[in-house]
Amino acid sequence: MIQLRNATKSVNVNGGRVPILAGVDLTLPTGRSVGLLGRNGAGKSTLLRIIAGTNRLDSGRIVRSGTISWPLGFKGGFQSSMSGAQNVRFVARIYGATTAELVDYVEDFAELGAFYHEPVSTYSSGMRARLAFGLSMGINFDCYLIDEVTAVGDRNFKKKCNAAFAAKLGRADIIMVSHSIGTLREYCHSGVVMEQGILTYFDDIEEAIRVHEANMDAR
Amino acid sequence: MKMIVVHWRVTAALVIREMSVRFGRKPGGYVWAVLDPAAHILLLTLIFQTLTRTPALGTSFALFFATGYLGFHFYQATANYVNSAIKSNRSLLTYPNVAPIDTIVARAILQIITTAFVATIVLTALQLRLRVPQTVTFPPLIEAATLAALLGVSVGLFNNVMFQKYPLYEQIYNIVHRPLFMISGIFFLPDAIPNPYRDIVLLNPLVHVTMLFRTGFYPSYRATGLDMGYLTLFVVSALIVGMTVFTVSSSVLRSE
Repeated sequence: MIQLRNATKSVNVNGGRVPILAGVDLTLPTGRSVGLLGRNGAGKSTLLRIIAGTNRLDSGRIVRSGTISWPLGFKGGFQSSMSGAQNVRFVARIYGATTAELVDYVEDFAELGAFYHEPVSTYSSGMRARLAFGLSMGINFDCYLIDEVTAVGDRNFKKKCNAAFAAKLGRADIIMVSHSIGTLREYCHSGVVMEQGILTYFDDIEEAIRVHEANMDAR
Repeated sequence: MKMIVVHWRVTAALVIREMSVRFGRKPGGYVWAVLDPAAHILLLTLIFQTLTRTPALGTSFALFFATGYLGFHFYQATANYVNSAIKSNRSLLTYPNVAPIDTIVARAILQIITTAFVATIVLTALQLRLRVPQTVTFPPLIEAATLAALLGVSVGLFNNVMFQKYPLYEQIYNIVHRPLFMISGIFFLPDAIPNPYRDIVLLNPLVHVTMLFRTGFYPSYRATGLDMGYLTLFVVSALIVGMTVFTVSSSVLRSE
């Protein structure tokens, strides 16, 4: 469960402050996977980072229960001078996972071949995304934060991602940012619409999508 | 309690990462982190030895120079390495487990251990060349090295924030910081300077570090002007300022 209590947050954009959370009270219940909807710049990614704990609220409180992943995105939190395997080892150590096991799992999952032991700076964006995806699937969290990434690579790899993902969904929740309505429908039960610092929770994702689309049409 | 475990786990992982990245691509790996500065200091020592025969203290110029340089090196190497701790680990800060302070602690630990190895190698090499080996008293050496390294960490904490906020400050810092080597009592004894100037020289805390370090090697050296109270107070104040600036600016460090 993730709970925001009277949370405020604003960010600097071109010298002005833009509100992302304006005194928000919100509860994301356990057992429901949630899609975040909002226009570009509404602060969806920032909200994910606040939930993860890397960004702080300006005021108010956030209460979390269970383990929460880092925000899984296209770029991934990789040190480009280290190899893929070294990055995996680092993450295994900081999350207290078994190093050898995770290294093997990701090697098998990401299908990077010899590149696995080359610096990440030599990777294509697709290879980075595969590494990022494999890495996050290798560690068990109660809640996964996903920023615009669900399936990457060719069709076979996509199948594999979806299978891994579906297996996780039985035991874990996800909070997902995506511009693809189809993806949100596929993975999320509920939705949160972000509009000018105000967050509205909808128990049914379809309703959230309707409100979001109405917002987009209005302006 | 759980938080301490996570900090410890992350710091250990960062130490391993820093070790593998710093010299990991060359054969020999981490050994170079120790050999490189040790060879550099020994070479400097040899060069200055040919220029000056008689040291201000004792009979070996090599030992005089090395004992001054090593005390200073505990400060400089730590400051230089910690200065870029956040910048070099930026992408790892996307993991919520990794706190900005962990990158500082990891680099500080690694650099202090490395410098201790360097000092041991250099001083052992020089001792073996002396006809009459010096008797070494360790407490002042450890004290000087600790205070110097802590000062380095303080400066590093401050700079990680300030370099990022004010790029111009980084330029000015580099210009001002470089000649510190010349005025920190490595080549000269502050004791020998006439008085209006001596008091000015003694304002530099690193002069006290080199003096303290030398007392461990020269039992008869009186280190006139060495003020432990001043040095300790300076280091503690610097540490408080560094930690305050660092803590207050956590949003800058994670570049929110």
